[in-house]
Amino acid sequence: MAYSEKVIDHYENPRNVGSMDKNDPQVATGMVGAPACGDVMKLQLKINADGIIEDAKFKTYGCGSAIASSSLVTEWVKGKSIDEAGKIKNTAIAEELALPPVKIHCSILAEDAIKAAIEDYRSKTA
Amino acid sequence: MNYFQIFGFTEQYELDVHKLADIYQTLQKKVHPDKFAHASSQEQLVAVKRSTLINDAYQTLKHPLKRAQYLLTLRESDQPNEQASFSDNSFLMRQMELHEMLDDVKHANDHEAAILSYAAVLNTGFEELALEMHTLLDENSIQSNLLAGDKLRKLKFYQKLRVDLDKLEDQLFNDD
Repeated sequence: MAYSEKVIDHYENPRNVGSMDKNDPQVATGMVGAPACGDVMKLQLKINADGIIEDAKFKTYGCGSAIASSSLVTEWVKGKSIDEAGKIKNTAIAEELALPPVKIHCSILAEDAIKAAIEDYRSKTA
Repeated sequence: MNYFQIFGFTEQYELDVHKLADIYQTLQKKVHPDKFAHASSQEQLVAVKRSTLINDAYQTLKHPLKRAQYLLTLRESDQPNEQASFSDNSFLMRQMELHEMLDDVKHANDHEAAILSYAAVLNTGFEELALEMHTLLDENSIQSNLLAGDKLRKLKFYQKLRVDLDKLEDQLFNDD
């Protein structure tokens, strides 16, 4: 299958790959997986006292589209409030990366990773 | 007729794959195109359709995960969408570790030994889950079928790792 140029760019030069200390109270971790293809995605957000995402890191084991979706999301969430980040929709990710219909689930996975990270943050600060 | 009935099997997870293969051969012989060379085009079409059905049934039942999936479908178990994200944290953490271990296999000095020990780790994880799924499927209640579906989704992650390991093995030994 042909990947779009943007997918290839993120795949070849992934932004913000890495890990943060998940025990750091400022760090929220979102883990999601796609049983259909076995992809596993970890998204970590460093959130300051004002609820602004200062940094984001990801680690994804999966296809090019899954890696590109998570890489893109780390770029998009930086500087946003957690409420704004929580509003990022998979359709926007799919559109930006020109994902074909069979790869839409990769963008859903990335959206769900943001949601999972925010949920982790809320449970940590509750 | 469902896939189990085609082969005369009880609708359950436990299945003798050797017996399955034997019956498959026998059934396919009965609908072999050679036998219908002089039959009407109508009869030939029926035989081809029958052959395709037997083949689909065989491919589904011989593979443990496909068999479990099919069984849950037959039981009309209300499972989450296949595309839905999975979010069992500790399980996914373990999956991350297993992927990282696979990366280490790539860079090991002794590839053969690293592959063997990694395959053993995968098998242990797989067999443990498969056994739990088997027990739940045998229980066959609404609740146990739901839980069996959860085990099945986890097994698919292990299946993916097995495929990745096979690919790595090909890669490593072709480069040698």
